[in-house]
Formats: sequence, C-alpha cells, structure tokens
Amino acid sequence: MLLNALRRLGIFALTVVVASVVVFFLLGILPGDPARAQLGLQASEEDVQALREQLGVDRALPVRYLEWITGFFTGDMGISYASRSPVAPQVLDALQVTLLLVLGGIGVAILIALPLGILAAVRHHRPDGTLFSTISQLGISIPNFLAGLLLIAVFAVTLGWLPSGGWAPPEAGVDFLRHLALPALALGLVNGAILARYTRAAVLEVMREDFMRTARAKGLKPGAALMRHGLRNALVPVVTVTSIEFANLIIGAVVIETVFVIPGLGSTLIRAVANRDLVMIQSIVMCVVILVLLANLLVDLVRPLIDPRLRNAS
Amino acid sequence: MRPARFSKALTAGLAVGALALTACGAGGDDATNGGDSGAEGGTEAGTGSASDANVNIGMFAVPANLDYTTTGGAAVFEALLYNVYEGLVRLDADGEVQPLLAESWEISDDGTEYTFQLQEGVTFHDGTEFNADIVKFSLERLDEWSANTPEMLSAVESVEVVDDHEVTVMLSEPDYDALFWLAGPLGTMFAPDSVDDLATEANGTGPFEFVTYENAVRMELARNDDYWGEAAGVAGVELTYFEDASAAANAIRTGGVDAILRSEAFDQFESFEAEEDIEVHVGSSQGVVVMSMNQEHEALAEPEVRRAIHTAIDKEAVLAAATAGYGEILGGPSVPTDPYFTDFSGTYEYDPAAAEEMLASAGAEDVSLTFNVPNRSYAEASAQVIQDNLEDVGIEVDLQTQEFPAVWVEENMVNQDFDLAIINHVEPRNMANYANPDYYWGYDSAQAQDLFDQAAAATDDDEYVSTMEELTEVIVEDSPGAWLYNPPNVGLTTEGISGLPLNDLGVGIDLSDVTVSE
Repeated sequence: MLLNALRRLGIFALTVVVASVVVFFLLGILPGDPARAQLGLQASEEDVQALREQLGVDRALPVRYLEWITGFFTGDMGISYASRSPVAPQVLDALQVTLLLVLGGIGVAILIALPLGILAAVRHHRPDGTLFSTISQLGISIPNFLAGLLLIAVFAVTLGWLPSGGWAPPEAGVDFLRHLALPALALGLVNGAILARYTRAAVLEVMREDFMRTARAKGLKPGAALMRHGLRNALVPVVTVTSIEFANLIIGAVVIETVFVIPGLGSTLIRAVANRDLVMIQSIVMCVVILVLLANLLVDLVRPLIDPRLRNAS
Repeated sequence: MRPARFSKALTAGLAVGALALTACGAGGDDATNGGDSGAEGGTEAGTGSASDANVNIGMFAVPANLDYTTTGGAAVFEALLYNVYEGLVRLDADGEVQPLLAESWEISDDGTEYTFQLQEGVTFHDGTEFNADIVKFSLERLDEWSANTPEMLSAVESVEVVDDHEVTVMLSEPDYDALFWLAGPLGTMFAPDSVDDLATEANGTGPFEFVTYENAVRMELARNDDYWGEAAGVAGVELTYFEDASAAANAIRTGGVDAILRSEAFDQFESFEAEEDIEVHVGSSQGVVVMSMNQEHEALAEPEVRRAIHTAIDKEAVLAAATAGYGEILGGPSVPTDPYFTDFSGTYEYDPAAAEEMLASAGAEDVSLTFNVPNRSYAEASAQVIQDNLEDVGIEVDLQTQEFPAVWVEENMVNQDFDLAIINHVEPRNMANYANPDYYWGYDSAQAQDLFDQAAAATDDDEYVSTMEELTEVIVEDSPGAWLYNPPNVGLTTEGISGLPLNDLGVGIDLSDVTVSE
C-alpha cells in the first residue's frame, strides 16, 4: 500500500518534469514575437529589438528554461511581458476562479449523474428508464459553450434571474452563487450526462453480481440491497471516470470562461497567447498539467479506500 | 420499498436540486442588480442626482497594462487620455484642435516655434504642480516612447521654458500636424515622479482620478473633485472589458453595463434598434480597412493590374459581409473625419467586365495570388467576398488565415511576405505611411513623398488641405492598395445615459461629459 503510493508519487514527479520541458520548448517554437506583440503594428524594428533584449527572449532556450523552472517551483514565476507585474499572483487569482468553477461543474455533474444513472439502471427496459438514458444521450451531444449560450438566453436575458456573465469572489456570498450558477451548470450538464452513462453501466453490472442475488435471498428489498451492497462497488469506475472528467472540465472551463466573461485561467491563457506573454502561458499550462496529474494521483490513492480488493491488487 | 418508490425518491431529489439552482436566481430578479463582476459599480439611475451617479461602460480591446508609451494598441490611451491624463491641447468632437492645459498658443511664421501659454493652478492627482518644466520633461521624454508612433512628433527638437507658465516647443522643421499629434497620446503630460510606475499607476491632471485596474476585467475611475476645469458629470466610471461581442450585448440587455463603446456585434444592431430602452449610435472611426497589394509580385507591380483589382471588388458586398452594412465605403486612404477627406467611393466602382478588360490590356494572365488574412471576423468575411470577386475576373486567390496580431504582423508588416494582405488600420492620419517607401505596402512614389513634405511644411490650413487632397489623388491613382471601408464606431446606451462621444478620433474617449438622468 505505502510502496504503491510512493511509486505513484514518483511517476507524478517525473511526469511534471517531462511536461515542463515539453511545454517550454513547444512554446519556444511558437511563431510570433513577444516584443512586437507588446509594441504594436507601428513599432520600429530597433525598439522591438531593444525590448526583446530587455525581456530576455533573445537568450538561448535552455538558459531560459532553467531560469523559469527553478523560479516556478520556488514561487517566482517571473514578470508578465504584457502586464509588467509578477505572474504568480495573477495565475493564482485566475486559478482560484477556475477551480471554483470546475468544482461547481463537478458538483452539478454528480448531482445529475448519480440520480439519473441509477434510475436509468434500475428502470432499464422500462419506458422511464429509457427516457433517462435518452436524456443523458441528449446531454452528451450538446457542446458546453452552446449550453452556456442557451442558459444565458433563457435565465439571464429572457427571465432576468441571473447575471449574463462576470464573476464575484466567494466572499460576496449570494452574489458569488448567482454568478457561479449558470457557468457551473453549463460546464456540469454535459459531463453529468457522460457520467450518468458510466453510472448506469456500473450499477447495471453490479446488479447482476452474485452478492446482490445473495443479498436479495437474505430478504433485502432491491433498493436496500443496492444501497447497502451495490453502490459502493459501482462507485469505483464512477470515481475513476470523474477524475478523467476533471481534466475535461478544466479544458471546458476555458471555453465557458470566455462565454461568461470570467477572469479564470482559460480567459487569461487565451489573452496571454494573443499577447505572446510566454512566461504567463508557460506558468498557466504548467498549473493545469499539475492539477490534472494531481487529480489522477488523488484517484489512484482514493480507489483502494473505496474498494479494499484494490489494496492487494498491486 | 419497491423499485417504483425508490425511483420516485430520486426524481424528487432531482427536482429539489433544480429548485435549489433556480433559488439562487429568485433572490435577485431585479434586473438592475444583475450587474457584472463588481455589481456595486453599476449605474444606480434614479437614486440621487445625476452628479452622484456612476456609469458602467462595456469596452472591447483590453489594455495589457496602463503604459501607452511602451504598449501598442489604442485600448490604454482610449481609457486614460482626456480622463486621467491631459495634454496641452485636445481634439473636440469635430476633430478640431482646442486648448486644454495650454490656454492659447502662437506659431512662428516659419512654423518651427510653438509658444504655449499654460493654464495656471493645475495640479496632478498626487499634488505635483503642473508648469512649464512638466511640459519640457514630458515632450523631451518622447525619445523613450517605443509604442504609439512617437516618430510622428520626431520634429520636436527641444522645449524652452520661458517662465512658469509659458513654454516654446522648437521643431527641427515645420510640421503642420504637430498640434494634431500633441492632442493625442503623444502629447500627454506626465509628472516626473510617476514615470517609473506607468504600467500600473496613472497620475494625471484630468477630470478623473485613476482608482484601479483589474487586469483585463475592469478599470475604475473616480471624479477628481479638485479638477481645474469643469467637473465631470458622473461621480465614477467603471470600464468593464469584454472579449466577446455577444457577451457584452447580453450584459447591456441584462443591466450588467449601462453602455457599450466600440461594439462590433454587427449582427445584433438591428435587434437593438428595435428595443425601446437601448439606443444605437453609429459614428465614424479612424479605421481604414485596406487590402495591400505587394508590388514585389510581378503582376501587381503593374499599376493597371492594381486598378483592375480595385475595380473587380464589390465593396458593397464586402461591407455587407463585414459589418452588416454599417460604415462607409471608401475607395481612398482618408476617412470622413480627416480635414482633407475626399470621397473616392465612385472612383473604382464595381465593374467586373471593365476589370477584365483592364487586366487583358495590362497583359495579366493566369494571375495567382496568396492573400494573408488576420483571424478577425471582419477580415475573414471581407476576404471571402474578395476571393469570389477576383475569381470572377480570372484571378486565383489562395486565402491564408493568420493569427492576429502575433503571426500576421510578423509575416506581412515585418517580413513583407504576401501578395495581398488585409487589415484595419486604426491609427489616425495614416497618410505618412504612403510617403514611407519602407512601410510594408512598399509604396515608393517620389511625387507622393514630395507632396507629403509640402503638406507638412504648410503654415496655413488651406494650403495643407489642398496639398493633402492632391496627395490622396496621387495615391488613389497609383492604388498600392484597395481601400475598402471605414468601419463604424458604434455605441449602445441604455436609457438616461448621454454625453458619450459619437466618433472615434484616435485619441482618448472623453468621459467627462457623460451624464445619467432620471
């Protein structure tokens, strides 16, 4: 168990290092000059060159890599080319926003997936079970930006219940929830639908297991048997898929943040790419990579806790 | 428990979840509270007198930071100039130069000495006194500018302090446009102690004080109660930055913002015009959407071929595709607010048959061109129309979409690697670039360069205007590019908001006259 956890941590660390090299050198060959992006269309070549030297982008890639990566892990991500202020606080602010949004999205997804998936499984081969499956199929086929636009059209523009965009920090309380509701819903709907299908499959599978028949034979009613013996077993694949969905949600958040004008990692990243603000792009991409890897690591560590059989598997 | 009841319990759970979500909305279905991030800054029309009101304005182009001396693009100075910062002179709504920190001025007969009488009793927001030394400091600092065309004031040689409130700006050669450029960002007066923090702070003499800028989200300005001139009409202004035209349009519909400037949601203006509580204001901009033709290409080196291409383009169709018909068709390089504007929209009127004849007479056969298009919707829409038009007259066009600005600027303006390239040139008085053979469109005409120098040396308005008119005619005749249209400057306001400038003159957006009624 401990050995397994250590092995996972080792893989995690190695992947982070490899990812940092890939991210840095891929961005190094991105066409477009950061200095010219700052100075605009009319700037003279001399001024552009002077700024290039000032920003240090004229130095060799390996030198810049080492400087950046040591800074990154000591909390000094450098100075943004565009805003001329330290990158770290900007990335951390945006990260907080995106994390809240993604957690909201996961919350919505789980709220949708568990009931819908379990119902679809329990009621399969019956009209309402088929209806729940159809609903989840429909949910999967709607891209989340479209869901966002539709939600804005209905709940913000037509009904006027919720703001059409923008963000309020958690300290704002109700205002925070009002700003979070639509984007979290847009983000969570599709993933909820996907997750519902996995939940349905997992529950169906569990219901066919021998131990379920034994539980029924002991006199437990189907619902009680499922609650007491079935769900825990069905949860293992669901938790795994949720962690994979977590990565999807972060990527989905990039789009949703643009639709809802939310100052998170996604909108910051898009702007940084347009400005060729390389230190900013590198730091954001690394944060996302680390987040996704952390989520996977967490699931690897949590799964044995849900299913004792996995503790001995490795 | 039978399965049916189990499923009912779950259905009920779903319903409760849905209710909980809508409950978040039920708490505030008052549309005026449905503000954007920082709803506190939104308009509170109806509460208190107009002068206590705040106004929340949606903007596009996001400032990367606050320093327009070293950061390109109009976004920064549009927000700060005339509001936080001021110069010696300003442009009024008609584009005329008017006094600002200089109450009057005199120009020597040879046009090389500008003597300004300065306003007295003016202080910067941090308390620094504005005087002749500040003028000298600010204008001599133009050497340190790297963005926003400092070369336009390269004629400024030195500044002599006559006394505390009088200065003489010495030019190395006469430059008729000097006052125009002094009225724009280049003429900004800076306090010497503030120039190290220009990227994050703004300390000026203007009617608003800079409060805060949350990067790419919002900027807040508050009325300067010690302003030397007439006080601003609103107590505070919040500029909310959008990157998506539809998001901004939704925000004004839901009360998230009170007004939108520089809107490009062209497909939505019609529906806005039908709405009672939103007004659409269509003014003109400094923009010239031009398709440059690279004379390094064998066929394009021939003026008759360039004129034929100009004639082959259906500019009405371009305008319809790019802006849903808002804006003015051009045909020449000047815009309607230029003092020397001439309407060339009929010069190369759309006539594919004539264009084919012109191509044949120039001996151009099997012409195939690459067309570099920035990934902006106006440009992509225009380019597709042009591609169709040119294929109709037998010219094959290969569209290359390039990321703007990073890739497009590098490929076209720096490397000059294009046959055709389209862009909206937003900088005002762009004519200087037709007198510069090194500029990316590579227009090298001795006649045009002479005329430009002659216009710059003019000391009276008539001489300047007539020379510039002559210059535009020469340029249009040579057609180094096809000037397609002047994009509209569209503002949207909700009820009770007035005083926003109609036209974009390439300077600051003066917000001091904005008022909120009711």
